[in-house]
Amino acid sequence: MLELQSISKRFPGVRALDDVSLSFQPGQIHALVGENGAGKSTLLKIVTGIYQPDAGRMLFDGAPLRVRNCRDCLDRGIGLVHQEIQVVAEASVAENIMLDKLDAFSRWGRLDWPRLADQARAAMARVGLDIDPQVPIGDLSAAHKQLVQIARVLSAEARVLLLDEPTSSLTEHEAARLFGILRQLQEAGVAIVFVSHKFDEVYQIGDQVSVLRDGRHVGTRELAGLPRAELIEMMIGRRAETASFGMPVVDRAREVLRVEGLYAPGRAHDVSFSLYAGEILGLYGLVGAGRTELARLLVGAEQAERGAVYIHGTKARIGSVADSLYKYSMGYVTENRKEEGLLLDSAVRTNLGITIWERIVGKFTRRINDRAETQSAQAMIAALDIRTTGLEQEVANLSGGNQQKVSLGKWLTAGCDILIVDEPTVGVDIQAKAQIHRLLWDLAAKEGKAIILISSDMPEIISLAGRILVFKDKQIVHEIAEIHEQGLSYDAISRRIGLHLN
Amino acid sequence: MERLRRLMRHNDSGIALSAGLLFVGCALSSESFLSAYNLFNISRIVAFSVLVALAQALVLVAGGMNLSVGAIGGLATITTGYCIQVLGLPGWLAALVALGIGGVAGWVNGVIITRLQINSFIATLATLFVFTGLVHGFSEGYAYTDIPREFTFLGRQKFLGLSNLFWTMGLVLLATHYAFRHTVFGRRLLATGGNQEAARLAGINTDRMILLSHVLSGGVGALAAVLWVSRMGSAQPATGKDWLITSFAVAIVGGTGLAGGRISALGLLLGAVIIVLIKNGLVMLEANVYYEQAFLGSIILLAVVVSRVRDLYGGRSGG
Repeated sequence: MLELQSISKRFPGVRALDDVSLSFQPGQIHALVGENGAGKSTLLKIVTGIYQPDAGRMLFDGAPLRVRNCRDCLDRGIGLVHQEIQVVAEASVAENIMLDKLDAFSRWGRLDWPRLADQARAAMARVGLDIDPQVPIGDLSAAHKQLVQIARVLSAEARVLLLDEPTSSLTEHEAARLFGILRQLQEAGVAIVFVSHKFDEVYQIGDQVSVLRDGRHVGTRELAGLPRAELIEMMIGRRAETASFGMPVVDRAREVLRVEGLYAPGRAHDVSFSLYAGEILGLYGLVGAGRTELARLLVGAEQAERGAVYIHGTKARIGSVADSLYKYSMGYVTENRKEEGLLLDSAVRTNLGITIWERIVGKFTRRINDRAETQSAQAMIAALDIRTTGLEQEVANLSGGNQQKVSLGKWLTAGCDILIVDEPTVGVDIQAKAQIHRLLWDLAAKEGKAIILISSDMPEIISLAGRILVFKDKQIVHEIAEIHEQGLSYDAISRRIGLHLN
Repeated sequence: MERLRRLMRHNDSGIALSAGLLFVGCALSSESFLSAYNLFNISRIVAFSVLVALAQALVLVAGGMNLSVGAIGGLATITTGYCIQVLGLPGWLAALVALGIGGVAGWVNGVIITRLQINSFIATLATLFVFTGLVHGFSEGYAYTDIPREFTFLGRQKFLGLSNLFWTMGLVLLATHYAFRHTVFGRRLLATGGNQEAARLAGINTDRMILLSHVLSGGVGALAAVLWVSRMGSAQPATGKDWLITSFAVAIVGGTGLAGGRISALGLLLGAVIIVLIKNGLVMLEANVYYEQAFLGSIILLAVVVSRVRDLYGGRSGG
């Protein structure tokens, strides 16, 4: 029914989709899985016309499909339900369902409320909702809002329904209800594409599963009889390209960080671990497993309810990122460089120097030492091989990879003893990736810094980390220690991780 | 093309050019324009406008806005008058008290914004009325006219041909330039306005930065008010009513972005020159002064559009 042929899409510095061919059949629920950045969202956005593909074509009922915007694809019967709930909270349920076709209900600009309510009721009936169409949607539960969104898409007579992680804001019970409705739609002949990070769901609801990895289509399998281990392997891969950096120099006598029973609802559920000088500790897990949440709790961007953090053996009180940086010399390189990592409109110099101003300021004049700032920024540009026209260039004008290097460089400049690095190489080209890996390794091995590496990139985490903590549902579910000492193979590690992600 | 781009991106050059053209235009179209008295007078108004605009720009740069800037001016005005006329305090002490009151009013704004998490538009809209009400209630609408001659030293005297007001403004602008170019505080304030979340995650106490920007805004607003009292020789409770539009017009024309993270001391001065010359020109052209706000509003809009165009075509890829 809907067929994608050799779709490719490039963004500056990354190949988001590389020659992907998929086909979706009526009456089938097709799961789409892959790690963060594998290309799932890009694919949905191409199908719905938010992005245009660089190469390849799409066929719909055998005829070429060209969509320029959401309107187009709704007209063709392709509907997308976004991951985030997008509703006009103050408007009624009926208006939300018919938002894109209110025109059809007006005469001389006056809305025909009774007809609108009837149609909305009919649309809701298809997803099993029985709600007064007049109530404001803001009063409904998350599940009901999600169902209303699906009703909206269906009311456009959608024949292809794309769902981007539809259960991320639903409880188990609500999700089960959604699945019931999906099965009904399936029987009615709708082609359903279901993006999810949760394997349980994929097995529960899917007919086939397609796996994307690094923008490539790894394969499509029937879900019935497919062992989970095989699916996980398809997802995280068995790439032999892991670089070896040698033996790490971990000083077990110097415990720089100890976390005991850290608890914050929905962020960390009784997380405990230790980190030693010279160690690179990997945190692996699927999206939403609680790794970034833990990092933000540690550096004081968020506050925990219970638990304790010890730094160099003494109990730490970290009320803000400023405390973390200036009192405990602990830094956090965010995964989200544009929103949280960079001052895009500011110069490279400013972005690299922001963490050291306090140190290079004149006592009485309060003047920042320009020369010190320039020198440290130039040193960092050289060390990270940042491609820039100069210190004064605005970061917004750098490529993605170079932006990432600046975001990382800011924290390297700070010279933290403990560095938490969150997805340091997402959207970075291969060469830059290798440079960043080398740098992180040297920081730990040569300078004795302690590094926590959060990554969904299996080869990256295996080649760098000497110990890996596996996260699931905001908890540590497994620890793989002595990776280098025991010479654990890539396959052995990925198998062990896979077992515990189930 | 590259040169054009660079020129367009260099904010101050465009503003300087406009200011220069306006100046020549005014000089050519009126004989009295270049008279010593008119220049002296213009320098006073420019100085005053710069301070009012700086009070706004200090908050804009941190990503907020201060609608109560005029009301704070009003508070500082009657504080000055009350301290001198009723309490009989010496002028310098009265001025200090007024600056303190301005700072406290700004602090109140800042606390509402950072502690209660209310956006600056709503918070300062509310305090605009609160402060204005306090001014009316306290003064009961009467001006304090018993201001000694010594107090008008700053507002009415001159030094080396320029008004003391102008010199005061010059000092304040130098300090502003120094702070934003060279000090940790200034650059942290810029970072906060540029991307608050990134600044917070880089170890900057952004709440404190925002709070301080409002305290400074209140202080500078109060300074403008004290100087105005000094110039008028009386403390009028209506002072500050017309500050809001001036503060935005000068700050925006002067290149302080509405989005935060950008400020230029020289730009503020040039912006004030442009706005004051336009007002002056309107008078010379015998335009109906009642239309003045319509002109100023259009200029604000024009300045925002120009900066938008500059962002789009000035080589900023963004996205």
